[in-house]
Amino acid sequence: MDELWKNSIDRLESRREAVLAAGGAERIAKQHASGKLTARERMEALFDDGTFVELNDQITSRCSDFGMDKKKKPGDGVVTGYGYIHGRVAFASSQDFTVGGGSLGEAQAMKICKAMDKAMEMKTPFISINDSGGARIEEGIDSLTGYADIFYRNTIASGVIPQISVIMGPCAGGACYSPAITDYIFMTDYAQMYITGPAVVKSVTGEVITSADLGGASVHSSTSGVAHFVYPDDLSCLNGVRQLLGYLPQSNEDLSLNVPGTPVDNSAALSDIVPADSKKAYDVRNVINSIVDAGSFFEVQESFARNIVVGFARLDGQSIGVIANQALYMAGSLEINASDKASRFIRFCDCFDIPLLTLVDVPAFLPGSQQEHGGIIRHGAKLLYAYSEATVPKVSLIMRKAYGGAYIAMNSKGTGADIVYAWPIAEIAVMGGSGAVSIIGKKAIEAAEDPAAKRAELLAEYNDKFMNPYIAAEHGYVDEVILPAETRSKIAEAFKMLETKDRTLPLKKHGNIPL
Amino acid sequence: MSKYRITVEGKTYEMDVELIGANGAAVQPVAKAATPAPAVSAPKAAPAPVAAKPAEVGSGSVVAPMPGTILKVLKATGDSVKAGEVVLILEAMKMENEITAPVDGTIESLSLNEGSTVAGGDLLFDVK
Repeated sequence: MDELWKNSIDRLESRREAVLAAGGAERIAKQHASGKLTARERMEALFDDGTFVELNDQITSRCSDFGMDKKKKPGDGVVTGYGYIHGRVAFASSQDFTVGGGSLGEAQAMKICKAMDKAMEMKTPFISINDSGGARIEEGIDSLTGYADIFYRNTIASGVIPQISVIMGPCAGGACYSPAITDYIFMTDYAQMYITGPAVVKSVTGEVITSADLGGASVHSSTSGVAHFVYPDDLSCLNGVRQLLGYLPQSNEDLSLNVPGTPVDNSAALSDIVPADSKKAYDVRNVINSIVDAGSFFEVQESFARNIVVGFARLDGQSIGVIANQALYMAGSLEINASDKASRFIRFCDCFDIPLLTLVDVPAFLPGSQQEHGGIIRHGAKLLYAYSEATVPKVSLIMRKAYGGAYIAMNSKGTGADIVYAWPIAEIAVMGGSGAVSIIGKKAIEAAEDPAAKRAELLAEYNDKFMNPYIAAEHGYVDEVILPAETRSKIAEAFKMLETKDRTLPLKKHGNIPL
Repeated sequence: MSKYRITVEGKTYEMDVELIGANGAAVQPVAKAATPAPAVSAPKAAPAPVAAKPAEVGSGSVVAPMPGTILKVLKATGDSVKAGEVVLILEAMKMENEITAPVDGTIESLSLNEGSTVAGGDLLFDVK
């Protein structure tokens, strides 16, 4: 090797070393000490072993104001590239907190955008790992524009490729909005997200609150509904991302992986799980687990709006989305948060051709001024809109209650369900017996010698007539009344028949879902 | 292969239309189903998501999740309870909802009678 080659190679190697050195040994040690992996270690954990390929490792900030010329590092605080997840390509970015606190400047944003553009061209999922102090103040509005470039791409890519955000440290201010536009947000127990942090909250409102209480994983998974999945640490969290991607296609032009499991039909257990007395509660997740492929149910937003359960599962190896009323919480009634949660899940599944299974046991929309003033009309409307708009195969099973507007909202025949099954204990009616008799039997009860007896007589008549699935079946709103033991085989058969379903919406720019 | 009938300036043509891929091969409408079906490789263990703790008002305060009527009162102030033990049954939304103790401890400030009505968010009892 001549001297010129050697010098050139040395120069490259020292540049490579500088990239890998990231923020330096001390900061890396600090990152590890706080229980976190480094940006590159996270990429290794996310992708199949040894498949991560880094891109644009040399991109560096062009800013030299406020001493940035001395502080800047190659890579500019983010690692980007691609690798394989379950053998399929995906692109990702991973902010490096050891370099300038992972702060986002013009060059970092450009680097992230390049990886996003590749994901769109290659039609692969994009995963964004966030661990950043926020905008790089030294770079001024170029930094803000960097965020805008990312938000814009997130929006254009929405519904084309699955986009997943992983929050593994601070994510504050404008940085929150890229994750919010993407499909799913994962958080670790030590991550935080807020538009304004505790210091600003205190100075403006006087409220004293810790960052965990303001925007920690527990708050966002159970109260705000911002986060979909929470894990205790980096490794378990990135495994969760891998697990989710196992249910999804690469893009809206691809089909989900079929992962044949051992199909076990546990439908015989269903009549033990669900009490025939519709006043008694049960955990609907036991119903889901008895219907879908063993161990395949992967719940989304399990701690938020627990009155409705949503998640992915497999039926004969094929991905499906499951939406189920949860009798254990708020009697399974629909309210604002449950409507939002289910609608967004339905629309995600529809974007990516994942068929929908709806398990219905719903008493009503929750009454009260809190709900009305909170806008249950526009929130509940999302559910009707999302179901009506979805063109994927849609199968419903009415297990017990299906009352009033809530029955119609839960994938009813009228809003486009392909196949509706009901169990023989199903109660499909405009309202419950007690309320109905008070209205339609008011005069008869008042005129009776023994009003209580008349009321009981009318109630028995109403219940006998309406507390069953047969009027709905006679009128075609239920396709078949099935035995609990037939549940899995009937549902699997329906989805098989629906594989070639071809329903399209009229040509339009996009609909106007009530937001 | 799809058949189309096209009318141009009054003349009607029948056409067979076939979508051609980049390599010149006919694209089957179901071509995207050609995704191979490998088992999801699991080089890394896939742990189940960890349930985050549900938000409670204070440590052991229990509020009515929705408006309804108290059907049964199974415990009284001063009783000791285990987490998950049923304290009240709230009849609401066509359901007898079991209201359980969120933590181990002693029941405090439980003053509801059977037949009392509560609004959503009303304090039912504390466990301390």
